[in-house]
Amino acid sequence: MAQSTIGIATRSRTPTRLGIVTAISFLVMVILPFVVGEFQVSLLSKLLLFGALAISLDLVWGFTGILSFAHGVFFTLGGYAMAYYLKLNLSAENNTYGGSLPDFMVWNGLTELPWFIAPLKYFPIAAIAMVLIPAAFAFLIGWFIFRSKVSGVYITIITLAISSALTTFFISQQAYTGGTNGITDVSKLSIFGINIPPNGLYWIILLFTTFVLVGSWWLTQSNFGLILRSIKENENRISYLGYDVASFKIFIWTLSAGIAGIAGGLFVPLNRFISPVYLAVAFGTQVVIWVAIGGRGTLIGPLVAAILLGQIQNSAERVTQDWQLVVGVLLLIVVLFIPDGLVGTVQKLFMKKQQPASTKQPVIDHN
Amino acid sequence: MESILSVKNLQVVFSGFKALKGVDLEVGDREIVTIIGPNGAGKSTLLDAIVSKSPVAAGNVYFQGKDITNKNPYDIARMGIGRKFQNPNVYNELTVFENILLALKGTHGILNSITTKLTKTKKDKIIDVLDRIGLLGDAATIVSSLSHGQKQWVEIGMVIAQDPSVVLLDEPTAGMTPEETHATGEIIKTLARNHTVVAIEHDMDFVKQIAERIIVLHQGAKLAEGSVDEIQSNPKVIEVYLGREKINDAA
Ligand SMILES: Nc1ncnc2c1ncn2[C@@H]1O[C@H](COP(=O)(O)OP(=O)(O)O)[C@@H](O)[C@H]1O
Ligand SMILES: [Mg+2]
Repeated sequence: MAQSTIGIATRSRTPTRLGIVTAISFLVMVILPFVVGEFQVSLLSKLLLFGALAISLDLVWGFTGILSFAHGVFFTLGGYAMAYYLKLNLSAENNTYGGSLPDFMVWNGLTELPWFIAPLKYFPIAAIAMVLIPAAFAFLIGWFIFRSKVSGVYITIITLAISSALTTFFISQQAYTGGTNGITDVSKLSIFGINIPPNGLYWIILLFTTFVLVGSWWLTQSNFGLILRSIKENENRISYLGYDVASFKIFIWTLSAGIAGIAGGLFVPLNRFISPVYLAVAFGTQVVIWVAIGGRGTLIGPLVAAILLGQIQNSAERVTQDWQLVVGVLLLIVVLFIPDGLVGTVQKLFMKKQQPASTKQPVIDHN
Repeated sequence: MESILSVKNLQVVFSGFKALKGVDLEVGDREIVTIIGPNGAGKSTLLDAIVSKSPVAAGNVYFQGKDITNKNPYDIARMGIGRKFQNPNVYNELTVFENILLALKGTHGILNSITTKLTKTKKDKIIDVLDRIGLLGDAATIVSSLSHGQKQWVEIGMVIAQDPSVVLLDEPTAGMTPEETHATGEIIKTLARNHTVVAIEHDMDFVKQIAERIIVLHQGAKLAEGSVDEIQSNPKVIEVYLGREKINDAA
């Protein structure tokens, strides 16, 4: 009896079919730069970063049930950290004014580099800032909203407010942030004097996104993942089992913001600029849409949705300016007809096929 | 005898309405105490106040001599008080196995939850719990597809897995057939061998099956306290509670 129940219902942490698919996709993508052109490589690099950003939102929304419109903010904070680094490392001849002060600071009458921006000239500091600033910011917000037991729709409203407030703030601090234009014309990425070519950057990003996907999957298969899912279903019950729900929420929220920050940091050398556009609610909404369409709680779904929608958007923008409308309609269809998202729905169909409808017996020892 | 759980002059107020008007309760180690009383008497509220689900307006709750009044629910749970709620409060979207795994006694920290493995010892413990609640065959079943009675058992299983010193059970047999009710009684009696049990019940046969001492609550106050026989012959209890049950039965 006991023998037949070993292995019941426990989610295995060893790779299965999904792992094989991921590994093959990874290998195909590794050799892609030898097949497609530089433009495609650069586009795919961006889309992979949007994918990582979508996965980071899936951790807090899909698994823990916290709908956030502020993930664009965490992404952008990481982006600014990297943008300062790249801007401050422009070689003198590439700098409009020949000096060491970024052009937008000169225009706004600054005569020397503010002390809080100066350290970002050094790569290790910029790299740490790109994770730590969004994570610390998220930790602070998280500490207040989750400890004060704000929940549900109010948290979502707060994330909207944060997004709007930061957009306004960054626009208003023109001398330090470049205002509406943001930080533009940044240098190409070089680390410790070594130039990173586009393909190199692509591989770094591919590794990063793969790591985020596999790491998130590993994390959510653990007891920790089980606790997140129970917080999503009923956060009160689990506190009577001895779990400090707020600390779990703060942890995943902060971790997620850190991931978003790295994605934003890696985004800037590709995009060559960062601006409050990425702080704004519209961008935060886009991340939400990727997760919703891909399938909440599936990790791979949001990644695939970000890549596919990004590709479609790239082609559609050449044909029509009403791309946002297309996305809106798409979202409506998903919300109304396939609430589990694309991957979520496929997974459910797949599970039903595996399990004959006639028997209500649980699947025991099938793997 | 030293009390493991001690409630002193406990008052709970819901926007002006006094749900508990100063209740005292002493529970000895490994005792089984049953709370009965009409609907709305404040029975659930008493358990809610003990685990900080409802705020205590006045009075105190002591556990193993320590004041736990209005402490964090998770602290109270970690100290060793487990709770089964009136309507089965289980995770419908998770499997039976996962529900028990969540409740399993152990550390509740974040890093631990990430690194911990499902060891054979843990698995055996869960299998043992599933066996005791008669749901071994349903380990991989999603809880939402279980019957009401089975959900009650899942939650009882969670409390067993939690292995607290004091177990608070709110109507554990509601919605069960007489056979299921009896089986539950046996589970609780086994549990009481090495746990303290406080159970709210309506079913008098069940109360007789498990009870050592009965507390009768009425309109937020303690009406009577004693053995099964003392309670059954108490005129006040017959008037407000048992008598009404008989009338209901006859109808
Ligand atoms: N959270 C709450 N808010 C307001 N009133 C409540 C709440 N919980 C219980 N009550 C009220 O307190 C009284 C006692 O309820 P309860 O303890 O659930 O009774 P019992 O479990 O004995 O049937 C009832 O009148 C009920 O309406
Ligand atoms: Mg009740």
